[in-house]
Amino acid sequence: MNHQRILAVAKREWREIYRDRLFLSLAFVFPITMMLAFAYGLSLDVEDIPIAVLDQDRSELSREYIHRFTDSRYFNFLGYLNHPDEIDELLTTQRIRAAIVIPDHFQSNLQEGRPAPVQHLLDGTFTTRARTTKGYMIAITRAFEKDVVIDFLSQRLGVSPQQVTEQLAPIKVQVRYLYNQAVESSQSLPPRLIVLVLLVASPFLTVVGIVREKENGSIYNMYASNTSREEYLIGKLMPYASIAAINALLLWAIAVWVFQAPFKGSAVLFISATLLYVLCTTVIGLVISVFVRTQVAGVLITAILTIVGGMLYSGVLTPVSMLSEDNQLVCHLLPAMYYTEIVDGVFLRNVGLTVLWPNLLVLAAYTVLLLIVGYAKFTKRPKT
Amino acid sequence: MTFHLWLHRLRVMTRKELLHLGRDTALLLFIIYGFTIDVYMAGAGFPFELRNAPFVLLDNDRSEFSRELAGNFQPPLFQLVADVTVPEMSQNLLDRGKALAELEIPPDFYESLRTGRQTEVRMNISATDNVPALLFTSYAEQIISNYGFETVGMHHSGLSESGITTLPVVDDQLRIWFNANLEDSWFMALVELFTIISILSIMLPAAAFVREKEKGTIEQLRVSPLSPVLIIVPKILSMTMVIIGGTFVSIFFVIQPLFDMPLSGNMPLFFLVTAFYVFSTAGIGIAAASIVRTQGQVAMLVILLIMPMLLLSGSWTPPEAMPDIIRICIIALPLYHYFEAGLGIIFRDAGLGQIWPSVLGLSIIGALAFQFGLWRVQR
Amino acid sequence: MSNTIVQVENFGKKYKRLSVIDNVSLSVGKGEIHGLIGPDGSGKSSLLKAIAGVLDFDQGVIRVFGINVNSEKAAEKIKGRIGFMPQGLGQNLYAELSVEENIDFFAQLRRVPQKVLETRKARLLEMTRLEQFKGRSMKHLSGGMKQKLGLVCSLIHHPELVILDEPTTGVDPVSRRDFWVILSQLLEEFGITAVVSTAYMDEASRFHRVSLMYNGKLFAQGRPEEIRALASGSVVIVRALPQAEAFTTLKARYPQVQPIGHHLRVFVRDKEPGPAEEIIRNSLSDVQLEECYSLEPELEDVFVALLAGRNGHNSTGPGITVRKTREIKAGEGSDPAIWAKDLVQDFGAFRAVDRLSFEVPQGEIFGLLGANGAGKTTAIKMLAGILPPSSGDGRVAGIDMRKAVQSIKSRVGYMSQAFSLYEDLTALENLRLYGGIYGLSGGLLKERIAETLALTDLQEHGSELTQGLPMGVRQRLALACALLHRPSILFLDEPTSGVDPLGRRRFWEILFHLSREKGVTILVTTHYMNEAEHCDHLVLMYAGCSVADATPAEMKRALQEEAGDLLELTVDRPMPVLELLASNGFGDAAIFGNCVHLLTHSIDETISGVRLLLESNGLPLHKARKIPLSMEDVFVYRVTALEQHTSEGQLA
Repeated sequence: MNHQRILAVAKREWREIYRDRLFLSLAFVFPITMMLAFAYGLSLDVEDIPIAVLDQDRSELSREYIHRFTDSRYFNFLGYLNHPDEIDELLTTQRIRAAIVIPDHFQSNLQEGRPAPVQHLLDGTFTTRARTTKGYMIAITRAFEKDVVIDFLSQRLGVSPQQVTEQLAPIKVQVRYLYNQAVESSQSLPPRLIVLVLLVASPFLTVVGIVREKENGSIYNMYASNTSREEYLIGKLMPYASIAAINALLLWAIAVWVFQAPFKGSAVLFISATLLYVLCTTVIGLVISVFVRTQVAGVLITAILTIVGGMLYSGVLTPVSMLSEDNQLVCHLLPAMYYTEIVDGVFLRNVGLTVLWPNLLVLAAYTVLLLIVGYAKFTKRPKT
Repeated sequence: MTFHLWLHRLRVMTRKELLHLGRDTALLLFIIYGFTIDVYMAGAGFPFELRNAPFVLLDNDRSEFSRELAGNFQPPLFQLVADVTVPEMSQNLLDRGKALAELEIPPDFYESLRTGRQTEVRMNISATDNVPALLFTSYAEQIISNYGFETVGMHHSGLSESGITTLPVVDDQLRIWFNANLEDSWFMALVELFTIISILSIMLPAAAFVREKEKGTIEQLRVSPLSPVLIIVPKILSMTMVIIGGTFVSIFFVIQPLFDMPLSGNMPLFFLVTAFYVFSTAGIGIAAASIVRTQGQVAMLVILLIMPMLLLSGSWTPPEAMPDIIRICIIALPLYHYFEAGLGIIFRDAGLGQIWPSVLGLSIIGALAFQFGLWRVQR
Repeated sequence: MSNTIVQVENFGKKYKRLSVIDNVSLSVGKGEIHGLIGPDGSGKSSLLKAIAGVLDFDQGVIRVFGINVNSEKAAEKIKGRIGFMPQGLGQNLYAELSVEENIDFFAQLRRVPQKVLETRKARLLEMTRLEQFKGRSMKHLSGGMKQKLGLVCSLIHHPELVILDEPTTGVDPVSRRDFWVILSQLLEEFGITAVVSTAYMDEASRFHRVSLMYNGKLFAQGRPEEIRALASGSVVIVRALPQAEAFTTLKARYPQVQPIGHHLRVFVRDKEPGPAEEIIRNSLSDVQLEECYSLEPELEDVFVALLAGRNGHNSTGPGITVRKTREIKAGEGSDPAIWAKDLVQDFGAFRAVDRLSFEVPQGEIFGLLGANGAGKTTAIKMLAGILPPSSGDGRVAGIDMRKAVQSIKSRVGYMSQAFSLYEDLTALENLRLYGGIYGLSGGLLKERIAETLALTDLQEHGSELTQGLPMGVRQRLALACALLHRPSILFLDEPTSGVDPLGRRRFWEILFHLSREKGVTILVTTHYMNEAEHCDHLVLMYAGCSVADATPAEMKRALQEEAGDLLELTVDRPMPVLELLASNGFGDAAIFGNCVHLLTHSIDETISGVRLLLESNGLPLHKARKIPLSMEDVFVYRVTALEQHTSEGQLA
């Protein structure tokens, strides 16, 4: 291997990228735009759920019940309704996602110790969110109910509310959320978007860069010269890996400074893991470009693999633990999930190499494996 | 030019586009895969329910009650991964992501319950993913409070002797609209179908158009008496036909039978809106294709357009959860409107009366893109 | 054999199951320039790539420098000693890089030491006259300059063997000549062996030895004059009235008759010039004979004769027989079919077409000639209604092109430079599509398709996919598509590039038939100079302007008056001869293989002067004779003069 040749290939590639303004801007503008758009636009938190109430009882207790919802950060109270038909209209046009109907005699039923029916109406279109919303509504209702029952029993039985509480709910539950105390996706999502954006942006550039050369024929300069395969591949990948590394740095800066993501772990660990991941994604591009002949095919395959893979199987948007077993297997076969765990580790969990070394190892093995495939399949004397 | 001649030319050109597609076996296979297997996999593979959530038990009591309580955490919702004795071990499992939560039972658990004192169970939940964290919390709290109340609390509260037959509970009757059993497969399969429709409707006409530019056949068409409309529209029309066909297959032969999805909505209206959407999106594809020279460039541009469209149109985050500025921006995304209208018709049985704003949005976007494409072809 | 650089035995290559080249053997000795000549799809590129070690192949043995190139590993051993330039204008160069950066990159790849690089680069840039463009990025170079740069890049490491795949395709005649001169200079100076492919038959004389290829088969091999001797005979040019009748008469007896403008060109096999003329005169006793003279056959005549003999098919399709009908004389109609006045097209600051004016009478075959970028295609696009002119007027079929574009469109047929058919449709589907676009349907469409298929002799290919058709057939199909709606005017933009000579001849016969029989006006651009001779009238374009507007004969006559006759000198080593001539005042001499061409007013004096000059310098002169001027000579002379004028203007 000769480093001068590698540098010559790398320098030439860089010059071409640098002078092709469309390509250059795409190389940097694309990841940053995606990062900003997604980090601002995406939210996996189920908060500010638009809700409306039809209060037919209009009593003190019904108002108190409603207050539990309006005071919650999870709900965005849009107002009282006058007629059941309005619920229908509002849910269908998606102005509200949930509604509560409190029938007559709500207060009197409760005060007299009878169960009081209420109706919770929920838009089930977005199943995940509906499920979470359902959980919130039940939790709020149980909390309200508990207070009502305690009041009722302490009056009836003549004991202090404290005693009733202890007896009715003998086990208190204390929940502590680790790594992301506020349970807000704004803490966890921006760093994870680094995974997604790099996964889409880096292979895509490599594919276009290499297949372009195949398509227009200048690859024959490599075929016909005594530049070896590894010299060419390393020289060719260097600029793209560097671009991806710079992008990773920019994305990290955006996550930390613009979106205030906490960075708790070791910078050295993060940097080395990121370099490994960047190399890995770049090499994915290399492998795809070895197998395709046209840029369109290359971009299409890259798009499907990385966009679908990144959205569904990387653990960025869909928690791996919730997927079906088959799909969990798919996640484990793809590299992105391992890097997502590293990102979680250094941004949120504050864990170090002792915990994350298997992930680094998998990424490294993956990169080496792909490099071997790319190297073996790249021939200077093709069949066609 | 008579209308008859115009129609004849439209037919001839549309048939040509369909012939092209028919000869491209790889592309055809990809389209078939997208509308069938891909949609099926998305529907079947992504039930967003807590499944075998791994938890660690740190049972400091090791009594009959603590066993009983922990025994209530069963698959398919929960999965005990380790029964540890020291907090360090559970912390380690949490750190390594091997466990989602730790359930810590205090040493005096049995004693307290037996003597009617209140006790406290602690849960440490890993919140790197907030959806499973919150789901775990809500299921676990229900299990624990039920256990406390039914198994232990009832016996000690003295309720049975007081003659109180009913309690003032809030009987919350939950009614979930549009997808009563919260079938994730319905939603995920439809989202995937919409994704496939979007990718194809923007990519196919754009690629067909750029191919004509690259090969030079566009010159031949421009020198013929075809108006620019007749050069563009057949490409969009033929792809719309193909995509509508694929959507039909996907809905009636994949989603409905395999996921038991009821199709109560106005399906003709749905297909009409789909056609409308494909037409608008294809217009964007053509507009993108008209400003570039090579297929490689158009592919890059299309990815640039499709990524935000797929992520920000409402499938991952509903518009109401987005910041105002993004909410205004996404009005420009046709998929956002299609999402509103398409899901509205299928799930909410919405009629034209409810979805007309989306249809209007689609028309404006389509008309603008189409006009731009026409303007570029004329030059 | 240490002297053999390349040895190919029974080479064969398949793509999928389709065999593209089969059983080809050849050997190339040290210092030889070996030519692979054949039309597109004859398998030249596959062979060259295999020799360069960049293509895996199925059959045969290839030895380069004695090394058997049968694996990637073996191929690596030869790569340091070869240079390879793939097909396509500037395709192996990097568009965004400057001329110098391109050269430096190739040198770094080849690990040329910096000092050596500087001297070599300086020399190569000087010889190719590219030094003033050192800093210009590759994408802004003209086609000829790109190819010269490509050559420099493939030679920067002084390879022992250089492999060039169609280096002159798509390059205009002036740059082509220039390229060949530079190539032969470089090869001689550095002692490099070369294998070069070309689709131009007339370039055969540039090589020491040639291999003629057709359809993946080796057809003939040897020195150019040996190949020429394979089918001996004479070419007789006659001008007879009525032309169509004479054509029919001759066609019946001689397979190779070509209408060239108002002349007919007949290849008479196995006859010396004198007897050949005699025979032709006798066979044309029925018609009025105005002119008759003979020429030496060109390689193309030989190629066509060999091909016809081998395949046993006649060069005329059965569908084309020129019936004895009234000959429509060019210019008979009252209005000109095409009339252009001061047409201008500006692309930003660049003026592609500058005040172009000409007229084409009905039924005439009218040619637009010019180098790449001279504005031919732009002009034809304006007239065909694709590109609105920046200023100027034009009338097509009597209709103002600025006003009624749509009504013009239904009266003209157009074949674009790029291939205009849909390759994934069958021939019939293409025809139905274009018929439909022009509003034909039902019985009328069927009738027209049948008629057009017969005219273009395509009946047997109707249901075949276009992509599988040979170039020549595709081109006829494209023409058929442009003819379905019976246009009165045809615009053809480089219709025959890449088509083999046989296909080209057939194509021109159809054009001739359309023009003479149906009165169709044809406006054609071409870069084959021998095709320019087919035209009734020519406009020569340079930098967007019309610089000559006359018949081919008039143009040649004007050149003869201005610069004299063409003298061909046959010598052993043309390179020193050229240098010697140049230093003695014969600046415009050019090399053709072993010959040197130069223009002179006084043939006899020049011959004796040159002979004296050469012999006193120890360079033998074997033969010196006057040869007829060709359109290429006219083109090169005019364009070179204009280029000199322009660059002098720039310097001043």
